[in-house]
Amino acid sequence: MPKHVHEIRDPIHVFVRLSSDERKVLDSRPFQRLRHIHQLGLTYLVYPGATHRRFEHSLGVMELAGRVYDVVTGKLTDDIRNEFPDVGDDRKREYWRCVLRMAALCHDIGHLPFSHAAEKELLPEGRNHEALTAQLIRSDEMRPIWKGMKIDSEDVVKLALGRKELPDVDFTPWETILAEIIVGDAFGVDRMDYLLRDSHHAGVAYGKFDQYRLIDTLRILPRVPTDVEEDAETGFALGLDEGGIQSAEALMSARYFMYSQLYFHPIRRIYDIHLQEFLLEWLGDDGYPTDVERHLRLTDAEVMQGIREAEQNADLPGHLHARRVSRRKHFKLVYSHNPIDAAIDTEAGGAVFRALSETFDADHFRHDRYRQRGNAPEFPVRMRDGRISSSSMISEVLKRLPIVEVDNVFADRAIADEAKRWLGTHRDKIISRPEEDTDGET
Amino acid sequence: MERHKKNAVLTYFVQALWNKGSWAGETHIQKAAYFLQELLGVPLGFRFMLYWYGPFSFDLRDELTGLRGDGLLRLRPQRPYGFRYEPTDRAEYVQGGFPKTLAKYRDRIDFIAARLGDKKVKELERLATGYYVTRKLPDGTTEERAAELIKIKPHVDLSGAVAAIREVDEIIGQAQALVH
Repeated sequence: MPKHVHEIRDPIHVFVRLSSDERKVLDSRPFQRLRHIHQLGLTYLVYPGATHRRFEHSLGVMELAGRVYDVVTGKLTDDIRNEFPDVGDDRKREYWRCVLRMAALCHDIGHLPFSHAAEKELLPEGRNHEALTAQLIRSDEMRPIWKGMKIDSEDVVKLALGRKELPDVDFTPWETILAEIIVGDAFGVDRMDYLLRDSHHAGVAYGKFDQYRLIDTLRILPRVPTDVEEDAETGFALGLDEGGIQSAEALMSARYFMYSQLYFHPIRRIYDIHLQEFLLEWLGDDGYPTDVERHLRLTDAEVMQGIREAEQNADLPGHLHARRVSRRKHFKLVYSHNPIDAAIDTEAGGAVFRALSETFDADHFRHDRYRQRGNAPEFPVRMRDGRISSSSMISEVLKRLPIVEVDNVFADRAIADEAKRWLGTHRDKIISRPEEDTDGET
Repeated sequence: MERHKKNAVLTYFVQALWNKGSWAGETHIQKAAYFLQELLGVPLGFRFMLYWYGPFSFDLRDELTGLRGDGLLRLRPQRPYGFRYEPTDRAEYVQGGFPKTLAKYRDRIDFIAARLGDKKVKELERLATGYYVTRKLPDGTTEERAAELIKIKPHVDLSGAVAAIREVDEIIGQAQALVH
């Protein structure tokens, strides 16, 4: 007799439980491949404990998605039942629970080796790992599993990717809410799990927050858009009871600290750049294989083997970049974002990079610019007296959350000291008020 | 559009909306930017899709956050509704470096601010969705486009949909002088 519930030990959630049907997804080749994809790319070269994989993160996302679903569908008001008839139907409610958990489990199966490190540079224009995820969910490999579970693969795709990644696909309001549970900016369980898990493995405390309190207070609530008249139709969104506001503040603060301290650690970032450059040369003109079979065969293990070989043989493509990674000869930070320079020129790092490249040799420098994405931390909050308000009206912390900026310039260590000295004497001339060229053309 | 120029154009745009009495919340900026890019041809490079209140761009949402990170916009929470986006002093400093770029787009930005700045979210939702269906059905009659609008936004009644389509046609007509 097969077991109906399978239990997997997990350092963050203690146990992750799956049904026998769900276990078939877990055992599929696309999902098992995630055992060999590092969650944080080469971050382990800076934080040695950060060797965890997408595999356990995806299990954690599934676990959290199921918990959030049970909470938000367990405390329904009449207006929500009217708005979302599927929730009131036991069979449909169970269907969507299953779809949500499977979408959460599969949301990362399209990741390239070393996760985000080289995605933009390696994939054809307009493609990303989310598109590969959709391709895999719809693949011949997965289709019989969905059929056996009586799940529509398109429903899994929708919830795994969300509206942002599927601009031409129609979502019902219910599907929009469910996708928000996984990939939402405010309370997406993808982020909840990676903050907790990355923090745990990297050995930093910044990513911790009270997940139990937060999840218990999540609710589907009427949206609170700006300037809409009372009683106007506004739709619904994922929000929370007022009692959870401090947990939400902790989640969003954790996000800020994890990005500023870990994800955007400059040495971590330069290793990503060296890895990208290696992969571009190693993969050659064909680029990253986007067909299912070849994607499934390529993991961190194959790339790392390529790095080991190329590092020892100057004739192999990617040799120089492979040495930088494997022998820790990464470029050194010579300039980083700071508020004084940014007040003069928001793109000060770009100006520094161009000046250094013109003075020395462009190949000795790398520029790394990233602006935070997402929206302002605004979501509906049900106050203790039953009124619905915007989080921006309730929380002083959320109003003041800083934004993370990356604007780094790195130099080959052979000339890094010289470059830094030169920059010290020319900084005032390099960083100046930006002005347009004479013709004003865009 | 090059980064510095885009900063100058977008912060001037948000300021123009403020000057015309807009709440300048994210939804107001999103709908107005949809007209600015798609009707007036200002090359902002955003991809719009249909979302809660009509056309919406995740790229623009990211851009607004980026502008906050650069210190060019700030969030101003204001009762009873929530965040408004407000240009900072530094935004004016950035705009000062790009007079020709702003001169090129000023009339179009001012036009959109004048036409849409005083409108609330619900009106903007109807108008932006009305313009969306007009682009989708360029040869559609007022009634056909109103029906399409209602299909997308079932809470809009027929008279509201027809009025929105007529107003969109008026805006399109007036915009021609600025585009050509």
